[in-house]
Amino acid sequence: MTTALCLLLAAGAFAQHATKPTIMVFPSETWCAKRGYMQTYDNQGTAVKQPDYQRALQEDMDLKLAIAKINNLMTDRGFPLQVLEEVLRNLQREEAQMNMVTSKSGSSMGMSMMDRLNAQAKSDIQLDLTWDLTEQGPKRTLTYILEARDPYTQKSIASAVGTSQPSFSASVPVLLEEAVVANIDNFNAQLQAYFDDLFQNGREVSIDIRVFEDNALGVDLETEYGDYELREIITKWMRKNTVEGRFSKSGSSEYNVKFTQVRIPLFDSEGDPVDTEAFVGKLRRFLKKEPYNLPSKVMTEGLGKVILVIGDK
Amino acid sequence: MKKILTFALAALLFVPAFAGSKKKAEKDTQAFRYELECAGNGVQGTYLIRVWSYSRKAAVAAEQCKKNAVHGVIFKGYTGENGCVAQRPLVSKPGAEMEHEEYFKSFFSDKGEYYKYVSLTETSQEIVKVGKEYKVGVVVSVKKDELRKALEAAGIIRGLGSGF
Repeated sequence: MTTALCLLLAAGAFAQHATKPTIMVFPSETWCAKRGYMQTYDNQGTAVKQPDYQRALQEDMDLKLAIAKINNLMTDRGFPLQVLEEVLRNLQREEAQMNMVTSKSGSSMGMSMMDRLNAQAKSDIQLDLTWDLTEQGPKRTLTYILEARDPYTQKSIASAVGTSQPSFSASVPVLLEEAVVANIDNFNAQLQAYFDDLFQNGREVSIDIRVFEDNALGVDLETEYGDYELREIITKWMRKNTVEGRFSKSGSSEYNVKFTQVRIPLFDSEGDPVDTEAFVGKLRRFLKKEPYNLPSKVMTEGLGKVILVIGDK
Repeated sequence: MKKILTFALAALLFVPAFAGSKKKAEKDTQAFRYELECAGNGVQGTYLIRVWSYSRKAAVAAEQCKKNAVHGVIFKGYTGENGCVAQRPLVSKPGAEMEHEEYFKSFFSDKGEYYKYVSLTETSQEIVKVGKEYKVGVVVSVKKDELRKALEAAGIIRGLGSGF
């Protein structure tokens, strides 16, 4: 009933706007690997490769052109995107600020490991761009893939795939621009369908419930309250508070329950916009009350993913 | 005098026949009886389309092509091949044409608002006689970005950023 009321509010009153997802264009990992724009770091003895966006943007003019073209077309459609180059620059500036700013007594600004993990270029919807040029004698053909992904639910939202007509004279930037312009409408139609679904059925998010190991209360997700285990109580709360009780559980143990495909309302009963953090905040307050009296910590990964750790702050 | 009378009589016979063909062409448009195919990559903000229309009068079919092109971009979309990209219709909601009947009636009236968004790109036409009818094909350019903005302003479709 509550969720139905929230949906009605969402449908009828856009006086309050839903939290807008951020969208950013990234060169895909395949594209970066093929052109050598990768960096390797050591993860506890294992060499891990990841895209070096900074170098790719500094050295590849075609990439800059393609991203600028997509940004331009999306702005024209009334949905300006975040610019990867600017986000990277801002992260560097913030890092320098963190290192340099100290209080009069010599204290530096606080930064948790979670803050460090979150301090990387990311967006709520990631547009992965790939293209490849095939040469057959004097003829050149460009294959182009643009894919929108939701990093929180790991779902594909939209994609545009195309191959240009073979050309004897067109340069890569021209073929690339043509491909972007020709494919962007179909891509946006899928993106629009995703947004329509979001307004109709609520935002799809992921919620991870964890427990601090050896917490002072000695609580875990199998701790019983009356006839029910804590994980059952949380599942019941989810069923009551999600849109039409829609969610999936992809794993459950005494330390962890993963809720995926969780449909949360876009607005609460007062008409205020709801994001995953606000939604999980409501669960946190529920667990804090009698008879549970459980403290918990909310860790936000983004608009669509939050981790709630029970047992401590 | 005799010549004038003959001309007037011919005109009287021709006008209803032309009007009848026109009415039939309008019905064909509403029944999606036309064909659209991609004719190349238009300049930014436009679609370049080859549109085929049917009528007993080749002139009526040719004129109806413009209306059909806009109607098709809004409600039907079109196919593409050989590197030419197929496009989805601007309005994806089923029944939207009926839901906004008054708006589209005025929009698609003769020389109505639709006319602002379409232009012929070449004067040549392809005419094929199919039974008692003519199938006329022309290449037109549809200003799809402006058309989309007009439909958004009229509340027929939602903008990508609306609601946020």
